[in-house]
Amino acid sequence: MKPAILTDLTKCIGCEACVWACKEINDLPREDGAAGLSATSWTAVDHRAEAHVRRQCMHCLDPACVSVCPVAALQKTPEGPVIYDESRCMGCRYCMVGCPFGIPTYEWNNPKPRVRKCVMCFEKRVSKGEQPACTAACPTGATIFGDRDALLAEAHRRIAAEPARYIDHVYGEHEAGGTSVLYVAGDPFETLGFRTNLQSDPYPRLTWNVLSKLPNVVSVAGVMLFGIWWIAGRKDTLAKVSRGEMTLEQAMRDHPPIGKPDETEK
Amino acid sequence: MRIKELKDRVLGPLTFWKALLIAILALGLYTTVIRFSQGLGAVTHLSDEFPWGLWIGFDMLVGVGLAAGGFVIAATVHVFHIHKYEEIARPTILTAFLGYLLVIVALLFDLGQPWRIWHPIILWNPHSVMFEVGWCVMLYTTVLALEFSPLVFERFGLRFPLKIVRAMYIPLVILGVLLSTMHQSSLGTLYVIAPEKLHGLWYTPILPIFFFISAVAGGLAMTIFESFMSWRAFGKRLEADLLRGLGRVIVVTLGVYTLWRFEDLYLRGNLHLAFEVTPEAVMFWGEIGLGAILPMALLASRRVRHNEQGLFFAAMLAIMGFIVNRMNVAITGMTASSGTTYVPSWMEFAVTMSIVGAGFALFALAVKFLPVFPEPTGEVGAHAQQSAAAGRPAFPRIAIDRRVLAGLWTLLFGGVLAVGYALAVNGKEPTKRAPEPPEHPAAVVPGEFAVPAEYVFPSGSESPGPVTFRHASHVTPDSRACTACHASMFRIEQAGEPVSGALTYERIHEGDLCASCHDGEHAFAVDDDCSNCHAM
Repeated sequence: MKPAILTDLTKCIGCEACVWACKEINDLPREDGAAGLSATSWTAVDHRAEAHVRRQCMHCLDPACVSVCPVAALQKTPEGPVIYDESRCMGCRYCMVGCPFGIPTYEWNNPKPRVRKCVMCFEKRVSKGEQPACTAACPTGATIFGDRDALLAEAHRRIAAEPARYIDHVYGEHEAGGTSVLYVAGDPFETLGFRTNLQSDPYPRLTWNVLSKLPNVVSVAGVMLFGIWWIAGRKDTLAKVSRGEMTLEQAMRDHPPIGKPDETEK
Repeated sequence: MRIKELKDRVLGPLTFWKALLIAILALGLYTTVIRFSQGLGAVTHLSDEFPWGLWIGFDMLVGVGLAAGGFVIAATVHVFHIHKYEEIARPTILTAFLGYLLVIVALLFDLGQPWRIWHPIILWNPHSVMFEVGWCVMLYTTVLALEFSPLVFERFGLRFPLKIVRAMYIPLVILGVLLSTMHQSSLGTLYVIAPEKLHGLWYTPILPIFFFISAVAGGLAMTIFESFMSWRAFGKRLEADLLRGLGRVIVVTLGVYTLWRFEDLYLRGNLHLAFEVTPEAVMFWGEIGLGAILPMALLASRRVRHNEQGLFFAAMLAIMGFIVNRMNVAITGMTASSGTTYVPSWMEFAVTMSIVGAGFALFALAVKFLPVFPEPTGEVGAHAQQSAAAGRPAFPRIAIDRRVLAGLWTLLFGGVLAVGYALAVNGKEPTKRAPEPPEHPAAVVPGEFAVPAEYVFPSGSESPGPVTFRHASHVTPDSRACTACHASMFRIEQAGEPVSGALTYERIHEGDLCASCHDGEHAFAVDDDCSNCHAM
């Protein structure tokens, strides 16, 4: 099973049960409220005229944050949730720049700050076979937990069964190469504050395309530079010989050694 | 006596610039204390929407880029055997070494937990561009230290280490060139993962190539600038002929760079963005027009190259263009997509300026005490030696031409206006949605939900009889005004169990919870009649 969450925005009543259940299980301060995603609210409900929109980490299948983290503090578990090891993190915040969904938040006012985001209750619940606190708390079944393939099928089933109710798009099926958190909605996603200009190829490929070329570039360039050094140096030394500043015997011992000059060069 | 002598040599007389430096360092020190005791939020204007600011844009991207002269000159002299540039090698390697040290200092400010800066050494992620940059910067700083070390060894007559370093000098230089090529370009690769965030005028998959080429031009322009400043301050300088040569290389580099930038914009269909009236377009032309095309045109002219003032002015333009380019990638280009406006705080500026100031001061000290520049010769050198002999400070006070100064000030002023315009326009755009819930929450599908069951609050010391809350008399399945109470007043944490702290007489009867609607205006008041709610 690949753990995933499906949120049906047509069923959300905006009660924020998910938000406060998340704060409860993760021991996050309640007094900070939950106006939006923050270091103390890992999920939040955006109350809009069209719908109540729950935001959280999308748990990408191939996450940008995991690929950009220089110390592997963010990791994709074999099961699927993207988790964070705060003992590794040095605070470069590249994950925040790299995340196409703008999810990770930072403890800006903590002298020992950490990156904060939804970890799909991986250690506390999902790895023990339970569902995350948020989906367990939802009173209407608007946000549910299950296997990604099954939830994806369910999403398409709902859309097919009630085409008037849903727009024909499962957000997260292809966005950023696919995510473990899926949404269906009654309004176009761009009007609900979702980023809809995202590519459907995984983001890490963009930088890997460049990085994977480096070993070749470096070895070819290294050999070339040594070659240039040798050839330019040889030319230099031979020029000195021809100017009479150096004897040929000295030149052949010199750095870089010129080797045995051709007949013509003598 | 000796200590006083040393103190005099190190500090010298108090001048305007030294006083300014001290003031800036004091502000920087103050910021440092706040930064490390209260966190990044207390000193920076960074936010979750805008996590990288001035310290990454200027201290990192500009700092590393302007130190690129180090590897270019090292390669020219030691790999390509163009020995006439040998004199330039020392000051550029010194600048590069100081530059990298200061970049690392800046990084200690910007990293959330700087005491873990060494983590990439043991905690690996080879898929990360940042990991690669980290390793390259680490190794290259070591290489620079070794390249620079002969100066120190010479100064103190340490022959044995000098011999070792000399023996490994060529592999060292080549390693340095490779490492530089890698991380100069990789600083651009950092942004390749953010195609929707970085504005179309700057985003391109070949950003690493542009970062590399512009670093070569910027690093060489910086070498000209340093030489001029050292001449002004210490009477030590490089042959004008060498600097002219660098000017010619800058023309070629900037030419390739500019053409390629426009070609890339055209091929990606983004060229039109440059001709729209947007803050981004203004900053783009500031960078390309004034910072690349203009210096290229100036340096292409023989008359300008042979005029000291002209050479200096053109080099300054190229440096400014380089700085604006990196700031555009890091700040201007990331602003629109962030939905917020980022203007660095004064404390961010204080740290950046302290680091730049420390750089100038360290360079000055190194020039004074180490054999960085060749012994002064010619008129200027003679002047400096005369004044030194006469006990006066060895400042020949070479004036910068008035026209050059006027030009630079105009540009600076224009730049401030352009940035101001950019910020004003960005500020006007609606940046954030109002967080308040709408008056009429979505009524999505009639008949979808069953209204939850009744809820009974038992009687207690403060409640004379049990209170039954009927969902049905507050909401209908179709209106679904659930958010009037959830989660503002009654939070649900487990389905079916609202929790919002203890329900006390005060909270219910004095304006909170039930009383926030049951106030006699919107609905009957809580104090009207006990039996309205309590079963007695």
